[in-house]
Amino acid sequence: MRDRRTMPLGWDEAVDLERDPAVVPDPAEVEVPEALRASITAAMQRYPDRHSAVLPALAAAQKVHGWCSPEALRQVAAVMQVTPAYLSSLASYYDMLRTEPIGSRYVYVCTSVACHVRDARAVYEAIAQEARDQELEDVEVRNFECLGACDMAPMASVDGRYVGPLSEDDAHELVAAVKENREVLPGRGLGDEGFRLPWEDKA
Amino acid sequence: MTGQLKKLTANYDEPDLHRMEVYERLGGYGSARKAALDMTQEEVLDQLEASGLRGRGGAGFSMGKKASFIPEGTMEKYLCCNADESEPGAFKDRVLMQRNPHQLIEGCIIGAIAAQATRAFIFIRGEYETQAKMLDAAVTEAYEKGYLGSGIFGSQTDLELVVHRGQGAYICGEESALLDALEGKRGNPRLKPPFPANQGLYQGPTLINNVETLCNTPAIIEHGPEWFAAMGVDKSTGTKMVSVSGNVQRAGNFEVELGIPVREIIYGLAGGPPEGRDLKCFFPGGSSAPVLTKEHLDLPFTYEAMAEAGSMLGTASMIVVDDSQPIVPLALNLAGFYRHESCGKCVPCREGTNWTVHMLERIDQGDATPMDLEIMAEVQTNIIGNCLCVLGDSMAMPIGSMIKHFRGEFEQHIEAARAARDREHIRAFSAGELAAAGEAGPA
Amino acid sequence: MARPQIKEISFEIDGREVRAPEGTMLVDAAKSGDVEIPYFCYEPKLGQPVGACRMCLVEIEGMPKLQTSCSTPVKDGMVINTTSDRVKSAQNAIVEFLLINHPLDCPVCDKGGECPLQDISYGWGGGKSRFIEPKRHFRKPLELSPLVAIDRERCILCYRCVRFSQEVAEDYQLVFLERGDHTYVGTHDGRPYVGPFSGNILDLCPVGALTSTAYRFRARPWDVEEAGSLCTLCPSQCNVQLTIRDDSKVLRAFARDNPEVDDGWLCDKGRFGYQAIHSEERLRAPMVRDGSMLREAPWDHALEQAAAALTRAGAGTAALAGGATTNEEAFLLGHLMREALGSPHLDARAGGALDPQQARVLARPDLSARVSDIDHADVILVVDTELVEEAPILDLRVRKAARRNNAKVVTLTGRPSSLDPNATAAVRFAPGAAEAALSALAAELGSGRATGSRLHSRAGCEPGAIGAAAEVLRAAGDVVVLWGERISDGARGASAVDALLAVAGALGIVDRPESGLIEVPAATNARGMREAGVAPGLAPGLTDAPEAGMPAAEIAGALGAGELSALILLHEDPLATHPERRRWQTALDTAATVIAFTDFVTTALRDYATVIFPAESYAEKEGTLTHPDGRLQRVRQAIGHQGQVRPEWSVLAELAGRCGARPDVRSAPQVTQKLFATVGFLDGLTLDEIGGKGVRWQDRDAASNLPRAELPEGTLEVPPELPEGMRLGTVPSLWAGTTVEHAPSLRFLAPVQRAELAPADAHRLGVGSGDEVEVAAGGQRLRATVALRQAMQPGSVFLVSGTADNNATALTNGVPRTVEITKTAGAVNGAGPPAAAPAAPGPGAQPPPV
Repeated sequence: MRDRRTMPLGWDEAVDLERDPAVVPDPAEVEVPEALRASITAAMQRYPDRHSAVLPALAAAQKVHGWCSPEALRQVAAVMQVTPAYLSSLASYYDMLRTEPIGSRYVYVCTSVACHVRDARAVYEAIAQEARDQELEDVEVRNFECLGACDMAPMASVDGRYVGPLSEDDAHELVAAVKENREVLPGRGLGDEGFRLPWEDKA
Repeated sequence: MTGQLKKLTANYDEPDLHRMEVYERLGGYGSARKAALDMTQEEVLDQLEASGLRGRGGAGFSMGKKASFIPEGTMEKYLCCNADESEPGAFKDRVLMQRNPHQLIEGCIIGAIAAQATRAFIFIRGEYETQAKMLDAAVTEAYEKGYLGSGIFGSQTDLELVVHRGQGAYICGEESALLDALEGKRGNPRLKPPFPANQGLYQGPTLINNVETLCNTPAIIEHGPEWFAAMGVDKSTGTKMVSVSGNVQRAGNFEVELGIPVREIIYGLAGGPPEGRDLKCFFPGGSSAPVLTKEHLDLPFTYEAMAEAGSMLGTASMIVVDDSQPIVPLALNLAGFYRHESCGKCVPCREGTNWTVHMLERIDQGDATPMDLEIMAEVQTNIIGNCLCVLGDSMAMPIGSMIKHFRGEFEQHIEAARAARDREHIRAFSAGELAAAGEAGPA
Repeated sequence: MARPQIKEISFEIDGREVRAPEGTMLVDAAKSGDVEIPYFCYEPKLGQPVGACRMCLVEIEGMPKLQTSCSTPVKDGMVINTTSDRVKSAQNAIVEFLLINHPLDCPVCDKGGECPLQDISYGWGGGKSRFIEPKRHFRKPLELSPLVAIDRERCILCYRCVRFSQEVAEDYQLVFLERGDHTYVGTHDGRPYVGPFSGNILDLCPVGALTSTAYRFRARPWDVEEAGSLCTLCPSQCNVQLTIRDDSKVLRAFARDNPEVDDGWLCDKGRFGYQAIHSEERLRAPMVRDGSMLREAPWDHALEQAAAALTRAGAGTAALAGGATTNEEAFLLGHLMREALGSPHLDARAGGALDPQQARVLARPDLSARVSDIDHADVILVVDTELVEEAPILDLRVRKAARRNNAKVVTLTGRPSSLDPNATAAVRFAPGAAEAALSALAAELGSGRATGSRLHSRAGCEPGAIGAAAEVLRAAGDVVVLWGERISDGARGASAVDALLAVAGALGIVDRPESGLIEVPAATNARGMREAGVAPGLAPGLTDAPEAGMPAAEIAGALGAGELSALILLHEDPLATHPERRRWQTALDTAATVIAFTDFVTTALRDYATVIFPAESYAEKEGTLTHPDGRLQRVRQAIGHQGQVRPEWSVLAELAGRCGARPDVRSAPQVTQKLFATVGFLDGLTLDEIGGKGVRWQDRDAASNLPRAELPEGTLEVPPELPEGMRLGTVPSLWAGTTVEHAPSLRFLAPVQRAELAPADAHRLGVGSGDEVEVAAGGQRLRATVALRQAMQPGSVFLVSGTADNNATALTNGVPRTVEITKTAGAVNGAGPPAAAPAAPGPGAQPPPV
């Protein structure tokens, strides 16, 4: 679990002078899983400029490797013929790309203004606490900026599935379901069969 | 005028509307077919311009006029649909895409014809995983039908459409940042000029429109510009999606004609603050809009009236704050959002958002004096107008408005927090904790 | 694409009516009105403005918001205010924002005293800060590379260094990481930023965030003086500024902007190579052989010994000049050889010999391009040269033309070129088959001179590749051809140059003023030396010498056969720089006398030299060099001579005197004058005219004194068929040689031998990346580490040349040569993937650069 306000990775570190510079890898020198190579190559063909494929490519590599690891970036760099630094620069810019091995799945708890005024902070803290208590592993649990679901505030995105409105009381079950790989809060996910906001039922 | 007027969302209760079969049964793609086969590019452009349709992404610029800026010539031109909806308080595009993805695709076809674009992109924020998947499925259906690809609807027009997912950065909703992100760069805003209409994606002329804007175009082509212009008020024609959230009883999206009184939206449609609570303030157009208060409830909800009141209609995303919410944590939350989302490219935004957060933290922790409030207000002034894009202003304006409307509360908070902190220090000192912890005294 | 025509317009700034070229950015145009607008991020050398620092905001009449003057082109009638209250308050605000997280450690900051942030804070800041929060603090300084230290506290994120890496050097190693106020400059995964141009970020940084590891804390700006000169470490001849302490020590070198030469960039060799000047191991006194030992000797004794030996050898003496030999030294060497010793055997060319007539044709003004023609060329044809290793600053120039002016690049090389990703067409030929490739190109371009059959296959090219390149060239207006001296390597050198001239003829280069050829030679001053008369058969001014002489390769043979007995080596070690190392070894072994001028005693010289004179460094030297594009530039003395080092012109003159033909010169400028008076096309030139930026002799009236030479017309010779097997190619390394070995900062860059192979060949040979192999030919063998190259033409193997040990020239013999490759050990770390089955995209399939 990473507090995004702490110092970013690498800020305080010197380079390793013993290592080689990270240049564009020669394709002949890097082994890439075939499915990943195919998905990146397909993405490059969708755009007039292959660089446009870099976000799809990084997302695909993250799926395979769990995070944007140096090896993941090297593979993308070899297929796209760009430098690994170009990819690092992007991976560290976008919130959904992980530059640390902090989990191959995620729970984003929205804490922006509309959720804030509905006690999202407490919901987030409860979920974070549960995650610690239940020793949830390989899942990135973090507070997130507005997820575009203020109507269901406070809410969270569990691997892209939006659930809400949440209260602190939901934290235990939410984390347990994530841990056990069950569907989180069935019926309370946006897009679930017959999903209704509480006040819509009343209406 | 009161209540909703469902035009854009007329069929939204239809089961399986997201499927081609259903959408077409209800008349879908008729407008795109008409535009591709029976109308010239100029006719499409003229109808859009005549409808008075304004961009629904926040700036409210005439969509037809914007499309008319695209220069003639043989160079490749592009249409980008901005589906990066990330403004706190905004969630209308999410609903439009997930309920009716084909409507957006049809809108993209019409927009592309108007802009002579042969390639279109829907830039959707990565967090909208479900919506992106639905769009992907709908795009596949449209390709299968020949509504996308080469010779759409059997015409001479080609159109490739790609759904491009972002990976989490608010600033990509800024149109030039969106272009950089789509080109595979860090999503930093570009210097303007050149404007996207002249030099946009891959340096080519590019029309960028919001999801809701494009979703409106099929009905305009179907019913004619006069039909559209007859709705709404003055320069704000048609209907508008309004997202209401925060401390209200019935948060949600409402399709209304602009000009509807603000009170009607907050209290009529959204049920007002919870029982026993009173309205403190509201953001009329997303978190970037300066807050307004009770005195503004009876204003008509229009671009002009909101601007005159010192705020803006923006994305028409209304965040309602009731009187249980203290202003300082609200301001801190807001400033923290913009600090996190600042791209860091230009100095006033990068340093100004950070400085503002630091000052608010001090205020909250009892480490500030009322003088800091003055400095904080001046810092906001120093940000406004000096940045590369509007993100800096988007923090500075609402923070400035909060200081303006709630100065007294800020000052009380400062004093109360100082007193609490002092008490804590005295207690800690008496208990001998201070020296042991090696902690410095209050600043 | 012709150079753009620019018209002047007038505008008003701060109440003054000012004229400036239309389209100039306001921030520059303001200077015409003596108005200074402060800025940090603006730097036109880096490309389009970014408008990030916001320091240059000004008020423009008719525009509601303040505008960044770095990105606003000036228009006729514009009214600009840079001193209004609005502007001032914006400037104050920006300075305040910049300083809130900038440490005020100016007293211990290397940039102190020459810092734009200091100056701008003083000039445009509000003089106060209201920021009482704790500033950011980080460990500092941190290493960014062996050459550059980074202090992230001081960084203001102005974009300059990262733009340089991404848009100028195009190495894309240095980037912004993270976002917002977390943004910082860094590399991927803690790797060092190492590239041939990395040091330029030191010049670009407007604060003390990037500092030179070599210069840190050595001096304050007020302790030092600056001296303008020329870097003589490669043919690019970049203009430099040397920082001098106490008239005796070079502390730093940085770029001195000359758009006609270097665009204000400098490679790391040019930037840090100065350290070799002060190396302990540098020779500072003459040495004379005493049995098996070289002993330091007084000047008089050394001169006497040398003169006696040379007089004995007389016409049996040969001379090789190389490196940074100045025009004046070359001229005096010619005098010594021809007048004093009566020998015509002198050469300055490591590759094959040029026919004297070819030398004159190549010098024709209408056939030669200037460096800045690259900027506006429609197509740049790169023929068998790896610019980044051989003339690095030209590599940047080509990248700039491609990136900013959409010039098309065509590479025609044996080894995959680092410019391939920028190229519209990339053609690979077999190592040593440049002649065939050029003949084939000439034929495709419709030259009637090329008639041979199956030229493609003689060149070892993919079918169709040359046709594709020709198509790009045919459609072009202005073409600049950058060709490597290497094409003329070996016995068929003159034929290869003839084929090149056939290409030039077919392209109609003589008829287009902005089209032309530029040779990329092996030696820094190759052109100047040739034009000053150090070439077989050529007297100063490219006139026919009375007597034909032997070119370098023949000199080696004649020395080995005992036909010649003495050898003068002026800044040259043939074992390092000339092909056929083995032949030279025999030559040196057999020669009775070897007289050398050098700054470092290499193994060859230690073993074979009779007398060694200490060479001047370029910081001690006075003279002129001639750029490959014909520009004469001055090398100027910046420090006093170290130890007992004497001006080499005077040593050469003294030697000539002692050998019986004392030239009438008493000072360096006098030698220059004499040279200019002798060389017809330099007639009337003066050092003043050359000035600080140089003069291209082709641009002066005296150019008409160049002896007339017509483009050849006869049918090209048919190049030979290629030998079967793994064909050996060599690539020089910028980082090979004594300068790098003796500059502590650069030593880490010294090359190690590697064998570059196509994946298909590696697969066949059963070797993988990182494996140790032995490469053998003609009884010679050397060790190398395997590196796989997807774009390598199968059947080729490339080794590094120019290295002190394990030099690839040990295997070359002047004709296309095949080698045997055997694996001796697996990859050291076992990390190399198995050689993948070939899936090689054809040449040119590489995508463009990021």
